[in-house]
Amino acid sequence: MTPKPLPSLIAVIDIGTHKTASLLGQIIDGKARMLSFSERRTDGVVKGTVTDLEKLTQCVHEVVNDIERGSGRAVDHVYLSLSGPAAEGERVKGFVAVPAHDGKVTAKDVADAIASAKRLEPPSGRATILYMRQPTMLDNRPVSNPVGMAGKRLEVNFWRVTMEEGNMRMRVGMVNGMSIRVRDFILASHAAACATASDADKQGGVLVIDMGAGTTDWILYYKEHILCAGSIPVGGEHLTNDLSVALRISRETAEDLKLRFGSAMHRDTDVNQTIWKDGDKGVGDQQFNRGTITQVLSLRYQETIEFVRKDVLRRLEAIFPGHAVKLDQNMIPSGVILTGGSASLADAAEAVQLVTGLSARVGVPNFENESLRKPEYAGVVGLMTAAITDAPPPVRRPRGFLAQLKELFRL
Amino acid sequence: MSTPASILLVGLGGAGCSMVTRLSAQLPAEVAVALLDTDARSLPAGTAQTLQLGRAQTRGMGTGGEAALGLASAESEEAGLRRLFAGVPLVVLVTGLGGGTGSGAAPVVAGLAAETGATVLSFATMPFSHEGERRMRQANDATVKLGQKCHGLVVVHNDLLLQQVSPDAPLSESFAAADNWVGGAIRGLASAFAPGALIAVDPAAVRSLLSTPGSPTLFAYGVGEGEGAAMKAARAACDCPLAHAPGAVAKVASLFVYVAGGPAMTSTEAFEAVAAVRTRFGGETSTVLCARIEPALGDRIEVSVLGASLPAPKAPAKPKKGAKAEDPAQPIFEFATEESMRRGLFGGTPMTFIDGQDVDVPAYIRKAVRLPPSP
Repeated sequence: MTPKPLPSLIAVIDIGTHKTASLLGQIIDGKARMLSFSERRTDGVVKGTVTDLEKLTQCVHEVVNDIERGSGRAVDHVYLSLSGPAAEGERVKGFVAVPAHDGKVTAKDVADAIASAKRLEPPSGRATILYMRQPTMLDNRPVSNPVGMAGKRLEVNFWRVTMEEGNMRMRVGMVNGMSIRVRDFILASHAAACATASDADKQGGVLVIDMGAGTTDWILYYKEHILCAGSIPVGGEHLTNDLSVALRISRETAEDLKLRFGSAMHRDTDVNQTIWKDGDKGVGDQQFNRGTITQVLSLRYQETIEFVRKDVLRRLEAIFPGHAVKLDQNMIPSGVILTGGSASLADAAEAVQLVTGLSARVGVPNFENESLRKPEYAGVVGLMTAAITDAPPPVRRPRGFLAQLKELFRL
Repeated sequence: MSTPASILLVGLGGAGCSMVTRLSAQLPAEVAVALLDTDARSLPAGTAQTLQLGRAQTRGMGTGGEAALGLASAESEEAGLRRLFAGVPLVVLVTGLGGGTGSGAAPVVAGLAAETGATVLSFATMPFSHEGERRMRQANDATVKLGQKCHGLVVVHNDLLLQQVSPDAPLSESFAAADNWVGGAIRGLASAFAPGALIAVDPAAVRSLLSTPGSPTLFAYGVGEGEGAAMKAARAACDCPLAHAPGAVAKVASLFVYVAGGPAMTSTEAFEAVAAVRTRFGGETSTVLCARIEPALGDRIEVSVLGASLPAPKAPAKPKKGAKAEDPAQPIFEFATEESMRRGLFGGTPMTFIDGQDVDVPAYIRKAVRLPPSP
């Protein structure tokens, strides 16, 4: 399989629980220029899980139609985002003993090690979607390119993302339905990181938390590589739901109050601060205690971040068994970057700082078009960035059933 | 029909028995007490009538959390249960759902009591969020089944109990809140049947309030003390966490309001309290008021509110055996279940568990944080 040249047009689709966004860009000198953008309310996804395929398909078709109409160009392949509990990640390793005749690593040794890592079958019923390269170790020392170096034991590591086969076929089929191929899947948290974290951040170590409506995805970079990633099935909808339950108000009102008066921090001064729903104090207007709103939201927000912190630690402990793993500024000098719709909640960074003890900031995607420079668009912008930087894919995919299946969609 | 007591307070299962045992000391004479459990150890020999369920099934041990075992145990004691309920007009069933005896036996016990002609009001406690998935599911299923069998169902969330007390208070103190609520309800109901009330009420009116099985039930309780005690009590009842529980009924058509106070309480005070309660809970169709003087209360006044959403039908239909759930033509008014009560917009979606908690339930409920009062 020869690496395919970068296409001049790239279309990406980010399917979220709340919104589906699509971006079409023209690639000029390795940079994307936006041709068109579309965003629609997602139907048929609850808590990051597809519940109504027909509605979702309809929605995906609509955004694709939008970008085609907006740009006057035909889309023939897309990159799809992958988020939520459906995509499960784990670390896989491959070893090779470097033959002793001169003790230098050859390209074949690396290929053998990679092959041995990929021989590990995913759990039954699941298909491998992505391999993301992690540091290569030569005699337990991380090296960037081992070829030509002297050593005895070569170890390659990958972060492997798998997905239930049926689920993957469903997603691919949804796009194929309009004669469009899925060029690749991109992990949503990786995309968010590509849009907001600098190379220096990734080099030092950074944790990107992408809190969408239905799920909170996170990814941890360490020494330039993806160390691990995960997902918590809690998101912005839970913030809205908590508020709607606590104040006995509709989802729409709760959403509105969340945006206008919500905060990820609860302060004593919020209590007894009365706020009005509409503000005109007319018939049907309701008053609420702002303290109730911030109390409810801060508890949920901070709990979710705490779930992420625990999940990160759990995965790190699985990767480095027997080591006392600590999440601190030494390990993650660039701290936390928050993206996704819920990053816009007031005081979000402060709350994350409080829970994790790491410095935190809200990540705004770096994109030429100003209307997309908002944390909620980090996902879709990042898909474009990731599609450009990751293509041709750094790692060959196995020629199993899936490779053939994917090949079909690709050409 | 001569009956030994007008109200039978039944404790079912471990949690139910211990609550009823705690309450039994302070009950009026109109209330008889019965304890039912599979575990022989929860049934102390004393004044209360006791009935051990499922001797053949569990041999005096508990059910070990198996609802199916609880159900079989109750069915095997059918004759004994019918004898127990014979001639009692009002049965108040107190049980803890989530375990085996409560979840399994409660619908059977309530069903049998209703078949013998009693009006059945159930107080069911739901397990703490931290008790995990299985108990929560079991409790959830049981609320639905129990709701179809009894005339009134008040669900008490244990999580709510934790919100009532300061974080460093002993656990016994939070359970005391539940005792107060159930105790208030029972005193209120009992007084409707006892002579000598300041404002008397026809017991049948209370029964007819609860005559429709499966209609949503509202319950609130409040106590006030000192100056303006009646209004304080009414306000406390309006703020009662049971009525504020997520998904609880906000307004109802028919209300039963019970006001009790020391010798100093006046009718004016009592009516003021009732007016305040009505503003909050409704009661447009009918409000049944009962007020009485209890010298033991001193300068305290207590207010209990019981309500049902549906207007009472003229001739309360006797529940027919096995006919409720199967008859598709007959609408079943389901109780707000665990799903819609606490999971709000996520009601109907599969539960999502992290660290053994259903994270779709609002964080403030699981963490038992008391929210600031509304303005």
